[in-house]
Amino acid sequence: MTLEILDPGVCTTVQDHPGRVGLQAKGIFPSGPADDLAFRLANVLVGNAPGLAALEIPAGRFSARAHFHGLVALCGADGCGPAVNDVPVPLWESVEVRPGDVLTCTAAKGPGFRLYLAVSGGIGVPDVLGSRALHTAGALGGLDGRALIRGDLLSVGDAAPGTRLRVPQALRPAYHRHWELEVLRGPHADPDFLTAEDWRDLVTLTWRVNLNSDRLAVLLNPHRFRWARPDGGVAGDHPSNVLDGSYPVGGVIVNGDVPTILGPDGATSGGFTVVATIVQAALWKVGQLRPGQDTVRFREVGLDQARSLAAHVEFPLDPRHLETL
Amino acid sequence: MGAVIAAVRQQSGRPAITYRQAGDRYVLAEYGDAELDLRLNFFAVGVLTGLAEDPPPGFVEAAPGLRSILVRFDPAVANRDAVVEHLQAVHDRQPEVSALTLPGRRVELPIAFDDSATRQAVHRYATTIRADAPYTEGGSNIAYVVEQNGLAGAEELYAAILGTEWWAAFTGFAPGLPFLFPLSGSTLNVPKYNPTRAWTPEGAVGIGGPCVAVYPVDSPGSYQLFGRTLPIYDLLGRNRAFRDDPFLIRAGDRVRFTRVDEDDLLRARRRVLDDSYSYHVEDAPFAVADYVAWR
Repeated sequence: MTLEILDPGVCTTVQDHPGRVGLQAKGIFPSGPADDLAFRLANVLVGNAPGLAALEIPAGRFSARAHFHGLVALCGADGCGPAVNDVPVPLWESVEVRPGDVLTCTAAKGPGFRLYLAVSGGIGVPDVLGSRALHTAGALGGLDGRALIRGDLLSVGDAAPGTRLRVPQALRPAYHRHWELEVLRGPHADPDFLTAEDWRDLVTLTWRVNLNSDRLAVLLNPHRFRWARPDGGVAGDHPSNVLDGSYPVGGVIVNGDVPTILGPDGATSGGFTVVATIVQAALWKVGQLRPGQDTVRFREVGLDQARSLAAHVEFPLDPRHLETL
Repeated sequence: MGAVIAAVRQQSGRPAITYRQAGDRYVLAEYGDAELDLRLNFFAVGVLTGLAEDPPPGFVEAAPGLRSILVRFDPAVANRDAVVEHLQAVHDRQPEVSALTLPGRRVELPIAFDDSATRQAVHRYATTIRADAPYTEGGSNIAYVVEQNGLAGAEELYAAILGTEWWAAFTGFAPGLPFLFPLSGSTLNVPKYNPTRAWTPEGAVGIGGPCVAVYPVDSPGSYQLFGRTLPIYDLLGRNRAFRDDPFLIRAGDRVRFTRVDEDDLLRARRRVLDDSYSYHVEDAPFAVADYVAWR
């Protein structure tokens, strides 16, 4: 039982959720899907247990042949023309495939950037340091520590096709061209690092997503912050410099003049101020930002609000809230 | 909504602590003032041990920085106030910094200075990224490090590296990359690359600011390179040094370099892979009082 990669697309990788958690002190961010919400929904739709591995397909283009009988589900970026044997199939619902069936998608027009493909039984690659997820920068996990290439045969777990499910439209994540990302202020914000005006700039300006964004980091457009201090002291000449510390996943660091959102394969530590941190409930949106096209605004929330948002995001992941087909 | 959750003043031999929010899943505890004082890192490494013995509710993991630790917790299990309260209790139980003994090891690594792999990295940088960088003159970064530190020549630089015991303050940035600070000896300090180098060979050793790093895998980097050592990371465990843990160097270890020529290094690198090379690692608890006495 395998999935044969006919066209791997740009940088398709094997991922699992929540990835390789617990190794930050060894310099390893957790990897895992850049958009955990679409990833987890795809797994739920094919009846998989939460920890099973599936594929992350950035930019949409992809083609594979099933050598198994089971369910597949595609969730994520819009406008990628998914089809099985050239017959269009919908996103956000499970589809039955039989040996020889060919699944294709074209370059995603958006909104949204990444597509997730789950297969019933999950993708079987070796567990490396506690996870199957590919860490792109560290070349560990996934299939042989690399993105997929044409001709790869991915092992598929044994699972009888279960009930087909569909995410009702009202429960699907809303995709945009102009996104709003909820953040908590700091750890290094005003008044000691940024000025009050700088913080206001951060949460009111519209930020463009740089073309060179990937699983390590999403770069935004440069901005001249005023800064509350003339330099970084012993840490460096620029006021964005601090003595090296560990970074949170989803941290918004300012590297010189460039605000940068740390992604799942990003640097675990460094010497730049972390001015804000994306809340858990909004992390999935970072995975759907289209490099070179989309814009974001940051919206400050409090801890309580962050927690209610997190509960809200989990709602469609309960199979009882999905439609049975 | 400020970023500081709580601040606790310095007391009886322990640094001040600032608890900062880092999203809804992390708390960052920073120690003392923003100064390059290794005693703050000793404290951080000590706290990590304390956390491992008595983790706060909902604890996921903790990772050190130079003068801080970042604690990740599961907000579905514990609320942040309870985590901070527990962290403070762990901090309160820490001995005075000068009374700390940390469970480190001594690691000895052979180094070949100005080797061909790091020269290759410099050459690639000069031809593809920046041709006129002051730090690529002569095809290596060594002349620049020498000049920046007012040294007489390369040999004086090598002597400073070899004569220093290097403290592994934390691992970060990339998988298995240790940041080493001088416990004694070296007062070297040098600006980093600008822009960043796209390729650094595995095993390369470089310096940025006062800090030395060993590159565990081929990767980008911005430190000034001066030599190459053995692999310090092997997922496949081809050498017995990596059987239990794919990372050779841990926070709290002390590293010394011994000089070899490049042929000897390359021979040792091959012997690492067929497991006929024995890494020099020995348990050696670190008493902060001794360090304070040397200074």
